[in-house]
Amino acid sequence: MKRVGVFVCDCGTNIASVVDTERVAREALEMPGVVYATNYKYMCSDPGQDLIKKAIQEQNLERVVVASCSPRMHENTFRKAVGDGGLNPYLFEMVNIREQNSWVHNDKEEATRKASDLVRMAVFKVLKNEPLQPGTIPVTKRALVIGGGIAGMQSALDIADTGYEVILVEREATIGGKMVQLDKTFPTLDCSA
Amino acid sequence: MVAVAQHPNIKMYTYSEVEAVNGYIGNFTVTIRQKAKYVDWDKCNGCGTCETKCPTKKLKSEFDLGLGNRTAIYKAFPQAVPNKPVIDAENCRKLKNGKCGVCEKICPTQAINFDDKDELITENVGAIVMATGFDLFDWTQTYGEYGYGKFPDVITGLQFERLVNASGPTGGKIKRPSDGKTPQSVAFIKCVGSRDDTKGKTYCSRACCMYTAKHSLQVLEKIPGGEAYVFYMDVRTAGKNYEEFYQRSLNAGAKYIRGRVSKIYPRGDRLVLKSEDTLLGMPIEVEADLVVLATAMEPARGAEEIAKLVGFSTDKDGFFQEAHPKLQPVETFTGGVYLAGACQGPKDIPDTVAQASGAAVKVAMLFSKPELSTQPMVSEVDVSKCSGCEFCVPICPYQAISMKQVEERGPKGPITRQAAAVNEGLCQGCGACISACRSGALNLKGFTDEQILAEVDALCL
Amino acid sequence: MSVNDGAWKPKVVTFACNWCSYAGADLAGLNRMQYPADIRIIRVPCSGRMDPQFILRAFQQGADGVLVSG
Ligand SMILES: Cc1cc2nc3c(=O)[nH]c(=O)nc-3n(C[C@H](O)[C@H](O)[C@H](O)COP(=O)(O)OP(=O)(O)OC[C@H]3O[C@@H](n4cnc5c(N)ncnc54)[C@H](O)[C@@H]3O)c2cc1C
Repeated sequence: MKRVGVFVCDCGTNIASVVDTERVAREALEMPGVVYATNYKYMCSDPGQDLIKKAIQEQNLERVVVASCSPRMHENTFRKAVGDGGLNPYLFEMVNIREQNSWVHNDKEEATRKASDLVRMAVFKVLKNEPLQPGTIPVTKRALVIGGGIAGMQSALDIADTGYEVILVEREATIGGKMVQLDKTFPTLDCSA
Repeated sequence: MVAVAQHPNIKMYTYSEVEAVNGYIGNFTVTIRQKAKYVDWDKCNGCGTCETKCPTKKLKSEFDLGLGNRTAIYKAFPQAVPNKPVIDAENCRKLKNGKCGVCEKICPTQAINFDDKDELITENVGAIVMATGFDLFDWTQTYGEYGYGKFPDVITGLQFERLVNASGPTGGKIKRPSDGKTPQSVAFIKCVGSRDDTKGKTYCSRACCMYTAKHSLQVLEKIPGGEAYVFYMDVRTAGKNYEEFYQRSLNAGAKYIRGRVSKIYPRGDRLVLKSEDTLLGMPIEVEADLVVLATAMEPARGAEEIAKLVGFSTDKDGFFQEAHPKLQPVETFTGGVYLAGACQGPKDIPDTVAQASGAAVKVAMLFSKPELSTQPMVSEVDVSKCSGCEFCVPICPYQAISMKQVEERGPKGPITRQAAAVNEGLCQGCGACISACRSGALNLKGFTDEQILAEVDALCL
Repeated sequence: MSVNDGAWKPKVVTFACNWCSYAGADLAGLNRMQYPADIRIIRVPCSGRMDPQFILRAFQQGADGVLVSG
């Protein structure tokens, strides 16, 4: 069985005020493969990430589970930490115990039980994870800007000034958008053309 | 504007629309339709003789929002970029019934071409910035209490901009559309369509408090003895130097009345506005010569269609959806597509410019790398199990699966047969092909059947 | 323990599409909208990833309900 480490985040009080993170970590130690589990105030902080990296090395972890906020928020952060710790970044799973748990439930017992269930779910999954390698694709270094108002003009100029080609498509016969219809503009009252 | 036209790295297609977008981050193929202009812009020197000689003179100018006229061959305004005209085919005598052709005869560079056709152009790009902006909510459809647009002296803020603009139809003099008189008293109504969930939009349009303060200042500065009344729900001036600007309009004498105007009706050649002054707690009546409505911003006409075409989502109001409201305000959920300006939500110019520069940096970041790394959670084929049935090919929404020939050892020597192959650049990792695969040859890396079943098992323990 | 005495807790397995429903559940969190804690969400990359066997397995293992949202 692969050696799994579980890291439970308090997120200050965002998670810990509803979910008993210490208990979740304790219960995680009973799950298959889990050899190390702990909670910490802010897992995404530098010391939090160091904790993960150190544990990977000291505990010879082969799989990592982080229970914290939504993966849509910090999946890449932790993936990078796992990679820096010496593991393939995809031997990692994230558990959402903030957006989908502590923020939407009041009952501490139920929320804590749910958190443990979700951690178990991730542990079961991560045991089946395989190392993955990103592929590469080429990039055409030209940009298309659709709309030639102030937004499109500013973007086009900035991109063009970095040295890349820009194609600007405007459906009217002139660029400028609404701004050229204005007289003077707040807050400076300078002209708008 | 001119800086854009002159920049050696910028190629402009005006009078053009994007018709098709294919591909994925780093590798988009775009089809652009350049509409027929009937003027060869390479030859045209922008002299404008055609405009002065065109006999069709009384067309309502879209640029002046109906407050001024234009000809059938026209530039939107004298400083247009590029500074070249187009012919409005629907109203040109020559294009409609073959008679006229005056512009062709007098054009000193022979630039007129009545046989011009739409042209399709293909371009390859690596990133797309959406900057389609906004349009104004059409108040004439819903605001019966303000006259459904039948009072000529009830206008929008954008029309007011044309009236005060030095190159506008009145040369910058504030005159009433009905009789051309200078209004003595101008009333402004804010939140027409904004913050009004019964008739308009739930959201705040963000720029109107400030531009109404600007308009009231312009009335007080340009009209000697003039009066400016502003009807408001709240005054929102969150922005650097914005509160100070609002105070300037108060000090100049703008009269702010907290209340929503319930009715506008004519009295003689003036308009009466009935409202409640909610600070005094009593009904109030104001007579005005001109009424200016701060109408809500809404997504540009056609925004929904172009979002579908490029392949990203819109929000509940039809504005383009950013990937995260705080942390990814210029990205979309589609790789390589970024947002700038009012197309993402109502915005004033300072915020628009900031977001536009942000989008530009995202594009530059993308281009700064020699190649892109793809996310590895893509579909994978076990060729030994694939029967080559092609069932997965039409299922894939990204055209990422094609059939390729594979060679195998058969009982009587090598045989070739077809099997599915996944293009990892195109595959977005949705997994739709996997449940379609009858022989179990496909799996999604990172979300394999085994992984998901393990999760189900763990939850049901 | 019967359904009616309130002590019974259903086990609801939810499959949520990463891009819409999972994001929606995150948004519910952002807005602190409260809902029963009996729901366990499995993130899938798209509801197109769903396979009937996932649902069958959940019921087979004792789930009281399955919600697929995408
Ligand atoms: C009455 C009024 C007064 C204002 N006054 C001020 C002011 O004083 N100060 C200030 O900071 N802000 C002011 N604003 C706000 C300002 O107008 C906006 O912030 C700004 O115009 C937004 O720029 P944009 O480029 O995002 O959109 P837009 O100006 O709307 O430009 C969008 C461009 O995209 C083009 N387009 C749209 N769809 C397509 C398509 N499918 N294909 C190709 N092209 C397309 C349009 O033709 C247009 O040229 C005012 C707004 C109003 C209504």
